[in-house]
Amino acid sequence: MDLSRRRLLTTVGAGVTLGGAGCAGDDGSTTGSRSVAGSGGGTGTPSTATDRSDGSKPPTADGRLHLDYEIGTLEEKIVSGGVRKDGIPSIDDPTFAETPPEILAPDDPVFGVVRDGEAKAYPQYILVHHEIVNDTVGGNSVAVTYCPLTGTAQGFERGPVEFGVSGRLVNSNLTMYDRGTDSWWPQMLATAITGPLTGESLREFRITWTTWDRWSSTYPETTVLTEDTSFSRRYGTDPYGQYNAKRGYYSSTRTLFEPLQGDSRAHPKTVVIGTRTETGAVAFDKGTLLSQRVLTGNIGDTPYVAVADTDLETGYVYANPESATVEAADDGYTLEGTTHDADSLPLDRSLAFDAMWFAWAGFYPESAYVD
Amino acid sequence: MSTDSAADGAGVAARIERLLRHTAVAVRGALTRRDGQLLLGVSGLAYFLLYLAGLRHLGFGPAGYEVSVVSNPLTRAFRQVGPFQWEPIALVVVGPVELLVSPLNVLLGAVLASLVGLNLAVSAVAWRGPSACRLGPGAGAVSGLPGLLSGFACCGPTILLVVGVQASAGLLSLFQWLLPLTVVALLGTLLWVGSRVETT
Repeated sequence: MDLSRRRLLTTVGAGVTLGGAGCAGDDGSTTGSRSVAGSGGGTGTPSTATDRSDGSKPPTADGRLHLDYEIGTLEEKIVSGGVRKDGIPSIDDPTFAETPPEILAPDDPVFGVVRDGEAKAYPQYILVHHEIVNDTVGGNSVAVTYCPLTGTAQGFERGPVEFGVSGRLVNSNLTMYDRGTDSWWPQMLATAITGPLTGESLREFRITWTTWDRWSSTYPETTVLTEDTSFSRRYGTDPYGQYNAKRGYYSSTRTLFEPLQGDSRAHPKTVVIGTRTETGAVAFDKGTLLSQRVLTGNIGDTPYVAVADTDLETGYVYANPESATVEAADDGYTLEGTTHDADSLPLDRSLAFDAMWFAWAGFYPESAYVD
Repeated sequence: MSTDSAADGAGVAARIERLLRHTAVAVRGALTRRDGQLLLGVSGLAYFLLYLAGLRHLGFGPAGYEVSVVSNPLTRAFRQVGPFQWEPIALVVVGPVELLVSPLNVLLGAVLASLVGLNLAVSAVAWRGPSACRLGPGAGAVSGLPGLLSGFACCGPTILLVVGVQASAGLLSLFQWLLPLTVVALLGTLLWVGSRVETT
């Protein structure tokens, strides 16, 4: 919508805004000193509508990701998270700035995305209040998603469809719904367990869980999501605890909901970098990976190798069926005499993401845990 | 039979009428006294603030001064996000204090706070008064307890983190009913306290 109107509302103050904007319909903007003028598209589409099932579908993958449970079993394990559908509102008209919000400390977590040369950062302290951003990056319609209870940030292609927060959880994990078919997608599984698209898996892309200073140093041209979300929230307050330094839910051994399966191989909130394919899953202890730089594991009979990116403090996982030797070097990783960056080894990279161990082990109890 | 039923009905109606009259007189009596007014004001305000804090609509944050309002407040104000919880339409920051304004939650909190305050005021005044010999000193606390519990009804499972209990379907459905049960309990205790106050 028009910027002039937003500026006017900011100037005249709250009292008049209440009276005037109520007649103007929902343009998804917020006024006030925290607002950043701008529009992420200005479609005028109301946020958090729940009745937009127009039959359009998100693009799905050719194959289905591995599940350690029958879909019917997972469906039975859906529980209420205590909020209504869209009670946690997705951001559907995001705005970005070139400079970070004052509140964003250098060590605060951000979820970084690079697609077709465009780099964007999504601060955890904003996403904890919304969990889903329906965005466009590098010309692609995507959903950037974050589940606070499982510590997972994942990206999905969304095509013409928006994703919303269903208010339900499986294994403590955000269950998204698509506003085209109303199929329900537990985020970590990326596979629909109810609705017309049941059994299909979404197309995913890499999201990097890192810190603002690491992300902005690596991608100085990045833009960053602003608090101009069209919702009033206390963005400085995390309902579950604190990441910098870790407190509350993020460090406690307790979980809010009972996991699908308990597993004592690690502290429940240990961060792993996990990957799952069409055949199985494997998880690498993130702390160990960052210190040792190279870890190896298996999915079935297939060897996998994980390497650390020490700049972004993250890791990448590759299928390594020939068991080629990968070694850490000063400026990368050597493979067959050639040095490569962590994110560009000449092997098939498998999409991997950070997760809390209890959540990974709950969904993938047969997964190896490498530490 | 029909005569008996009519007589019974009349008897019940008369009892209810007497109960309401007693309670109204007790409330009026409590509020004419300075200690009653003080208790209503202090406990009501304290409860109201606790209720907003329980919702996480009131708390501390980075210091500043700000008033920001969503652009479509009249629509948003009626958007329900959870059981007895509605979408905030404004953020007010004064120094380190942050307040999210959700009009329907403010209204609900004010009603609950009034009921809690009235319960405590009537109980305390009746207990201190010479003619209310049947009220023990615990009556006020008992009557205020359901009100305090309701402050957590809105928080959903996050409150369980503090308590250290895992959320379950039963607990989550209990949260949904906690607030209406609280209103009923507060009205019930007010009537109970009112009925025991000697009003003659």
